[in-house]
Amino acid sequence: MKAVSRSRAVARIFAGTLFGVASFAGGAQAQKPGGSITVGLELDIPGFDPLKVGVFDTAAETAAAAIFDTLATLDDKGEVQPKLALSWSHSDDFKTWTFKLRPNVKFQDGTPFNAEAVKANFDRQKDPANKCRCAFYISGIHDVQAPDELTAVFNLNDPAANLPGIITQPSSNFVMQSPTAWKTKGDDYNRNPVGTGPYMLKSWTAGDRMVLEKNPDYWNKGHPYLDRIILKPLPDAQSRFASLQSGEADIVWDDEYDADNIQNAQKNPKMTVHTYVGSGAQVYAFNTKAAPFDDLRVRQALVMAIDRKKMSQALTNGLTRPASNPYGDGSWVKCKDDGALPTDLQKAKALINEYGKPVDFKMIVTATPRGRAVGQVLQQFWKQAGANMELEQVDQATIVPRAFMRQFQLTPWRIIDLADPDPQMYANFHTGSPVALANYSNPELDKLLEHARTTADTAQRIEDYCAISRHINHEAIWFWTFQNTYYAISTARLKGLPKIYGGVIDVSNVWLE
Amino acid sequence: MLGFVARRLFHLVPVLIAVSLLTFLIASLLPGDLAYVILGDQATPEKVEALRHDMGLDQPIWWRYISWLGHVLEGDFGRSFRTGQTVLQAVVERLPVSFELMLLAEIVGLAIGVPVAIACAVRSGSAFDRLMTGSAFGMLSMPAFLSAILLIYLFAVELRWLPATGYVPFAEDPVANLRFFVLPALTLALTEWPGIMRVLRSDMIATLQEDYIALAKAKGLKPSRILFVHALKPSSLTLITITGINIGRLIGGALIVETIFALPGIGRLLLSAIYTRDLIILQGVVLFVAGGFVLMNFVVDLLYAVLDPRIRHGHA
Repeated sequence: MKAVSRSRAVARIFAGTLFGVASFAGGAQAQKPGGSITVGLELDIPGFDPLKVGVFDTAAETAAAAIFDTLATLDDKGEVQPKLALSWSHSDDFKTWTFKLRPNVKFQDGTPFNAEAVKANFDRQKDPANKCRCAFYISGIHDVQAPDELTAVFNLNDPAANLPGIITQPSSNFVMQSPTAWKTKGDDYNRNPVGTGPYMLKSWTAGDRMVLEKNPDYWNKGHPYLDRIILKPLPDAQSRFASLQSGEADIVWDDEYDADNIQNAQKNPKMTVHTYVGSGAQVYAFNTKAAPFDDLRVRQALVMAIDRKKMSQALTNGLTRPASNPYGDGSWVKCKDDGALPTDLQKAKALINEYGKPVDFKMIVTATPRGRAVGQVLQQFWKQAGANMELEQVDQATIVPRAFMRQFQLTPWRIIDLADPDPQMYANFHTGSPVALANYSNPELDKLLEHARTTADTAQRIEDYCAISRHINHEAIWFWTFQNTYYAISTARLKGLPKIYGGVIDVSNVWLE
Repeated sequence: MLGFVARRLFHLVPVLIAVSLLTFLIASLLPGDLAYVILGDQATPEKVEALRHDMGLDQPIWWRYISWLGHVLEGDFGRSFRTGQTVLQAVVERLPVSFELMLLAEIVGLAIGVPVAIACAVRSGSAFDRLMTGSAFGMLSMPAFLSAILLIYLFAVELRWLPATGYVPFAEDPVANLRFFVLPALTLALTEWPGIMRVLRSDMIATLQEDYIALAKAKGLKPSRILFVHALKPSSLTLITITGINIGRLIGGALIVETIFALPGIGRLLLSAIYTRDLIILQGVVLFVAGGFVLMNFVVDLLYAVLDPRIRHGHA
């Protein structure tokens, strides 16, 4: 489905009604129906009710991509394609978006999917009485209206030039859940999700396995191919890979810190390594209101002292790709000049000398082997430049409040892989945003961010975002180390896996050869 | 005997209260306010305040403890704020897995430890004794996460005799269930048997020097009868203590082993509760585990009394 282009999808509607043709998703390989696979995920899935779990992690999104559908989806070129919505249009100011919905779609419990259902999904998340943690991510959506059965109108608080792209993520915000199911099941709905998706939940043993069975009434006829998908949390990286080797799993989640296994798998003809370099990056924010980072020279010096290639080699056998801007190779924002500061130890030393005072500071890292390793590598770079960094190990849950209250000098953060840079760039850098961590305010930067979100022309938006990158890189208020790269390793028999957008292994349309 | 049991049971009450207090304190004093954890990246001060109020986190800690304890005494251990599951549901779902793992690990540990200990005690100082004591020491120093991965590579990846990860309930398929448990139980047993072996060996050596053993030998009793009937029982008091304490250690080991082998047991539940700051689940599970541990020690006390009449009558 993900590979179907828009014109082909439209063609399918006509052809489907005229000839009853089963499948159009072409390509060189012949899809084989039947069979089952086991997916090894990193985490236990807590559930699917946004009111309970707030936001889905990547493991939950992997399951959600099979159980639910979104209104739109991304193809492998990164372009937005129809899914539960057939087409969309926007007002001139990008503050109203109208979606025409796919007719004759039913939730797995028989509830019809229509504009009322779309509205109900958003109303429930936004209802202040529900206090849903998920509401934060759709604060830009004022309300959703259902003027007729198959028309859903999104009224936005802020303009969004790329709303259809933003809602492609199978997150707790954008998957369509059955209103009947959450109303009738109450507390139990969280672990008994009902969607319109290609697979239905058959059974779920907490901490062990979730069994999904093919939805026989799936609206996209001829799909899915597999009869059954089993999702298992395999938290330990070594034993997860061993499970793939021994055949207990057919595809497993992985990341670059497991470089040895990924590189072994790349040499193994029986395995396929699926890689996707997404948008976003692993990032760090300086608190520009706290000394010594209130001085531009110090910030620039520290950024210039980082040799990202060496760092990648030391941490991940060279697997991670250095990042010079917050967008990454996976983004449609490509800059001729992103303004990245060069790696230049001599210049860094000179800047610190010029500053004249000792540069001593603390950096927050997560109290995990990875967090420590990253911190220690940076510590070495900075020591060479003449700055003393002390690692402050805190637990993941502590980083967020510390960041919010600006109780840090230097903190790690993350820009995740999303279809559009606007939500995160605006939140991270616009004056007054709670996550504008650098405590930095600049009218010119604000203007660029505002312009980029209200412009439809992609070329113009690219220009804006590149100017934003140049500004941030020059001011060195945040810096980026590595791009977001996502990995999955599967048996070579598994075919048809789409790009791992946002780290989500979407197995809803794969088949076994 | 009944009086003894009643006395011991009565002593359990303060222990359990202390355990519950400690559990509550540790969970409450973990860094990272629960309200921040739940709110995540939208923890504005106003929202945090409102949520803290809703959850009663703005109450003084002693008051929260008392009201939590009150609910626990009524049998209400609370609900996970992440999954909506009650603590009781979560524990009942996971308990059989951990229980089976511990039972099998203990059986395998005893099956290796006891015979080796006896063999070593009989030939104490021999080459065999030195070899086994040495390797026991080596095994004791080998962490479970290392032996687990080595066992997986050998038996699951290379030889393909056993599955690397996974679980099937015993009721569904007993054979498959046991196949899944072989490697995890063996991993835990590898850290268990050295302790069992060393304790039993030294007790046995001491017992074998007692006069009544010499007498038994002089009477011409069969050596096997002397060993297993006359020497083993009096030597096993410390062994029972160790086995009881081991249950507690095994719960600790289960955290790692269940994670590596992807067994859906109490250890995994506890670990994910810690990571996600699911304090309600965390408090509940720790209370269950600690309660189980206390009960286990109670059983050990009773077993002492059965084995040694002096304890039963309060003269020990």
